[in-house]
Amino acid sequence: MEEYAREPCPWRIVDDCGGAFTMGAIGGAIFQSIKGFRNAPSGMNRRFLGSLSAIKQRAPIIAGNFAIWGGMFSTIDCTLVHFRRKEDPWNSIISGAATGGILAARNGLPAMAGSAVIGGVLLAIIEGVGILFTRLSAEQFKPPNPTLEDPSQLGPPPGFHTQQPNY
Amino acid sequence: MESSTGDSSGAYAPSYSNRDPGMNVPVHSKQNLAPLSPYLNFDPVYLPQSQPEFIFPEGASRQRGRFELAFSQIGVSCMAGAAIGGIGGLYNGLRSTTLAGDYEQSEALNLFPLNRLLNYVMKQGSATANTLGVLAVMYSGFGVLLSWGRGSDDELNTLTAATATGLLYKSTAGVRKCGIGGAVGLGLASLYCLWTARDRLQGFRQEYSPA
Repeated sequence: MEEYAREPCPWRIVDDCGGAFTMGAIGGAIFQSIKGFRNAPSGMNRRFLGSLSAIKQRAPIIAGNFAIWGGMFSTIDCTLVHFRRKEDPWNSIISGAATGGILAARNGLPAMAGSAVIGGVLLAIIEGVGILFTRLSAEQFKPPNPTLEDPSQLGPPPGFHTQQPNY
Repeated sequence: MESSTGDSSGAYAPSYSNRDPGMNVPVHSKQNLAPLSPYLNFDPVYLPQSQPEFIFPEGASRQRGRFELAFSQIGVSCMAGAAIGGIGGLYNGLRSTTLAGDYEQSEALNLFPLNRLLNYVMKQGSATANTLGVLAVMYSGFGVLLSWGRGSDDELNTLTAATATGLLYKSTAGVRKCGIGGAVGLGLASLYCLWTARDRLQGFRQEYSPA
C-alpha cells in the first residue's frame, strides 16, 4: 500500500469506482449488520438473522451508490484535468460539487444546490486535511538551523606559519 | 595557446601534455566511432539483449499483486454489470412500453414514457452492477487474503477464491444452492486458468508427445 500511486487518468475512473464500491460494500455491511441487529425482534438467533438479511438487502445498494459517486467524481475530475491541464485541489472540489449536484438532479433544483454544496465542502475538507498533513510531515524534514562554529579556535591554517594572525 | 600555458606552468610542475605519445592507448573499441561521442562507443556485449532490466524499489515486488489489481477488477465488473443490466433494462422497458396491454393501462403508464424507460434502465442496471460488484469484492477479498496468507500468487489462489466466492454468495440459499454456487465458481475459475495457462499446456504437450 505504501507504494500505491494512483493510476493515470482514464483508468483512474475504473479504479476509483472499484475502490468506492469496496468501501461502500464493507462499510454498508458493517452499518447494516448493526442496524439489522438492533431492529430485529428479540432473541439472539432472530437478531443475527435480521442482521444477515439486512446486510443481504441493503449493503449492495449502498455499495452501488458509493460506486456511482466515485465513478462520477473521477470522471469529472479527469475531464477537468484534461481541460485545465493541471491537477490541483480545485479539481477535486469542483468535481465533488458537480457530482453532488448531478446525482441529485432528479430531486429538483434546491436539492441539487444543497447536494452540490455538501459535496464541495466535503471534498474541500478532505483536500484541506491532505494539505495539512503534507505540511505537517514536511515540517519534520526541515533541516535544523545550522549553528556556525567559530573557526578561530582551530588556530592558523598550516600553510601560513610565517604570517602573524591578525584577528 | 597550449604551448604558452605549458611554458608558464612548467616552472612549477612537470607538464603532462595530452599529446604524450606514451599515453596513446586506444580507449575506443572502434576507432571509426570515436569522433561521434565517447558514450556511443562501447562494446555492445555489455548491452543486455535477453530481457528488459527494470530498476525496482527496494523491497517492492516484481509485479503488481492482487491488492493493486483488486480495485480495478471491482470497478470493471461493476461498470460491466451496469452496462449489461442497462441494456437489458432498455430492452425490457422498450418491450413493455410498446407492447403494453389494454388501452387505458397503456395510456396511464405512457404518460412519461421516457421516465418509465429510464426507471427500467436504472433499476436493472443498478441491480446487475451491484450483483457483479459484490461478486468481484468477494473474489478479490478472498484472493488477497489467500495470496497474503500463502505468500504466493498462483492458480490455486484463483480456484480457491472463486469457489469460496460461489459458496459465500449462495450461503444463505440452502446447502444445495450453496454447493451449486461453489461448483459454478470452480468451473469458471478452471476455464479461466486453462485459458491463461494455454501456452504452458502447449509446452507440456509438445514435451511429452513430440509429434
